[in-house]
Amino acid sequence: MFHLLQTNVTQTVSDASSAGSYFPVGIQLLFVVGMIGFLMVVTHLLGPKRHTSDKLQTFSSGIESHGDARQPMAIKYFLVAILFVLFDVEVIFFYPYAVNFRGLGWSGFWAVLMFVAFFLCGFIYIIKKGALDWED
Amino acid sequence: MNALIFSAVSGVIMMFSSFLLNNKNSVRVLAHVLLLATIIANIFELRGISFFHIDTRGMLEFDRFALLFTLVANVCTFAFFLLSSRDLEKIGNHYSDYFSLLFFILAGIVVSSSFKSLLMLFLGIEILSIPLYILTGSDKRNLKSNEASLKYFLMGSFSTGLMLMGIALIYGATGTFQTGITVAEKVPVLLITGMMLLLFSMSFKVSAAPFHFWTPDVYDGAPTVVTSFMATVVKAAGFIAFMRLFAEEFGSIRPEWKLLVGIVAAVTLFIGNITAVFQQSVKRMLAYSSISQAGFMMLAIYSLSNDAKEGLILYAAAYSLATIGIFAVLVRMKDYTFEGFNGFAKQQPFLAGILVVFLLSLAGIPLTAGFLSKFYMLKATIDGGSLALAIFAVLMAAVSVYYYFRLIQSMYFKTGNATISGTTTGFKYTLAALAGITILLGIFPNLLTNWLYF
Amino acid sequence: METVPLTHILFVSTALFCIGMYGLFTRRNLITMLMAIELILNSVNINFVAFNKYLYPYKLDGIFFVIFIITIAAAEAAVAIAIIINQYRTHQSIDVEDATELKF
Repeated sequence: MFHLLQTNVTQTVSDASSAGSYFPVGIQLLFVVGMIGFLMVVTHLLGPKRHTSDKLQTFSSGIESHGDARQPMAIKYFLVAILFVLFDVEVIFFYPYAVNFRGLGWSGFWAVLMFVAFFLCGFIYIIKKGALDWED
Repeated sequence: MNALIFSAVSGVIMMFSSFLLNNKNSVRVLAHVLLLATIIANIFELRGISFFHIDTRGMLEFDRFALLFTLVANVCTFAFFLLSSRDLEKIGNHYSDYFSLLFFILAGIVVSSSFKSLLMLFLGIEILSIPLYILTGSDKRNLKSNEASLKYFLMGSFSTGLMLMGIALIYGATGTFQTGITVAEKVPVLLITGMMLLLFSMSFKVSAAPFHFWTPDVYDGAPTVVTSFMATVVKAAGFIAFMRLFAEEFGSIRPEWKLLVGIVAAVTLFIGNITAVFQQSVKRMLAYSSISQAGFMMLAIYSLSNDAKEGLILYAAAYSLATIGIFAVLVRMKDYTFEGFNGFAKQQPFLAGILVVFLLSLAGIPLTAGFLSKFYMLKATIDGGSLALAIFAVLMAAVSVYYYFRLIQSMYFKTGNATISGTTTGFKYTLAALAGITILLGIFPNLLTNWLYF
Repeated sequence: METVPLTHILFVSTALFCIGMYGLFTRRNLITMLMAIELILNSVNINFVAFNKYLYPYKLDGIFFVIFIITIAAAEAAVAIAIIINQYRTHQSIDVEDATELKF
C-alpha cells in the first residue's frame, strides 16, 4: 500500500506542469462561472421588481440608519490602531521561539526575555507619553 | 559590538529622559555624555577590547573598516551635537525624542556598516531610514517638512521594496544570505538581476543619479538641522554599506557591474555639479553638492582597492565635518539665499574665515582634507583602469569650485547686511576646532587611515 | 497531493510586484500608495517562502527573513500613517497632487 502511494505521488509530481493536469480545474472554473452567470440572469428575468422607498433603504438589523458612514473620526482611534498593529506584529518573534523553546535552552530564554524587556520599554514609553489616555 | 549596544541603549535612555528630566539643558548634557561614552567604547573596541562577547553567528563582523567608520560617524555626530543641538530645540516640543531617534540612527549605522549577512544589511538600512522619515517630518506645522517626509517615505520604501526583491533573487540563486558568494563559470541570471536591483536601491539610498531626484526636495524641506545630519553622516553610512556589499558580496562578479557603476558615478558627478551651479538658495546648493560629492564617493565603489577604502573613510570624515560646519552656520542665518550672505565677512570675520576653510575643503583645494580624499579617489580610479573617468571627475570638481566660490564671493566682495543670531563663543571655538581638524587631516591623513592597520 | 511547480509561485509573486509598482506610480491617493508598497513587500515574502520551500528546504533562512520583513513593514506603515495624518491636517486632503509646496 505504502509503495503504491509513493509511486503515485512521484508520477503526479512529474507531470504536474503538463496542461492535462489542469483539465479538472478548468472544468470546475467553467462550471462555477457558468452557474453564477446563469443564476444571476435567471433571477433578473424571473423575479418581480417592485421598488419602494423602504426596500431601497440601507438595511441594518432593523435599526433606522442616519447620516453618512464616512465621517472624520477622532484621532485617538488611529493612534490606538497603529499602536495595536505595532505591538501585535512584534509578537511574531515569539513564534519561532515557541516552536523549539526546548532546543534553544536557557540562552534562548534570556534572549526572549531581553526582547520582551525592550518591548516593555516601548509600552511604558507610550503610557508615559499619554498615548493611551482616552479622556482628555 | 560596543558601539551598537551603547547607542541602542542610549536611545532607550533618551526616550525615558523626557519623563525623568524636566530641564532641556540636562537632556542635552545627558545626550552628549551618552554619545561620548559610545565613542570611548568604540575606541576600546578599535584597540581590541570588546566589552561584550556575543555570538552573532557570522551575521555581523566588526572589522577595522567598520569600526573606524563607526568612530568617524560617531565623532561627526558629536560635532553635530556640539554645534547644533540647541537648534534641535526649535523644531518642536519633543526634544529628547529627537536625540533618541538620532541614537537609533547611529545604531542602524553600526549595523549597516558591519554586516556580513544580507539580512543585517536590510535591517541596518531600515533602522537608519525609519527614524529619518520621522525626523524629516518633525517640524509638524511646516508644510514643506510634511511634504519632504512624505516624499522621502515614498521613495525610501520603494527602494526598500527593490532591495528586498534583489535579496530574494540572490537567495534564490545562492541559497544563503551570507556575503562572500562564489560563482562558477557561468553567473546565474537570477544573481545578476538581484545584483542590479540592489545596485538601484542602494543608489536610491545614497542619492546617486539617476535616482537622485528626491534628494534636493527632501533636503530642502526637512528642518535644516536634520538636513545637516542626513546629508553627512547618514549618506556616508550608506556609502560604507554600498562598498561593503559590492566588495564582499559581488566582488567575484566584478566584470558584470563595473561599467554600470562607472556610468552611475559619471552621471551623478555631471548632474550634481551642473545643477548646483544654478541654485539660488544655499541650502539647495548644498543638497546638490551632496549629490556631486556622492559621485566622487561612487568612484571608491568603482575601484574597490585598499586606496579606495582609505579614501572613502577619509572622504566621509572630510565631507561630513565640512558640511556639518557650513550647515551649523546656515541654521543661524536669517536668509538662506546667496544674497543672505552678502557682507557676512564684515560682520563676522572669524566665522567667515572658518566657512572659507570648509568651502575650500568641499571644493578640494590643497592643504585641506577634501583635497586629499579626492586625490585618493582619483588615484584609486586610475589604478582601477579608467583614466577617462578620473579626468571627467577632475573636470567636474573644477565646475564645483564655481558654486563654492560664489558663496565666498558674496561673503567677502559684496555689500549687504547678513544677519546671524545666537553665535556664542563656544560655538565659534567648536567650529574653529572642526576647521582645524579639516586642515590637520589635509596635511596628515595618516592620523586617520593608520587606524585601519595596526 | 500534487505540488505546484516553483515557476507558478514565482509568477504570482512577480505579478504582485508589478501590480504594486504600477499602483505606486499611477495612484494619487496616499493610502492606496501605501497599500501598493505593502503589496510589493508581500510579493517579496512569497518569493522568500517559495525559494526556501522548493530550493533550500533543509534550512529556514528564507522564512526568518519573512518574519523580519513583516515587522519592518508594520513599523513602516505606522510611520506612514502618522505622516499621512499630518498631511491631512495641513492640506485637508490625502492626494499627492495637492502636496505642491516643494514644486519648483
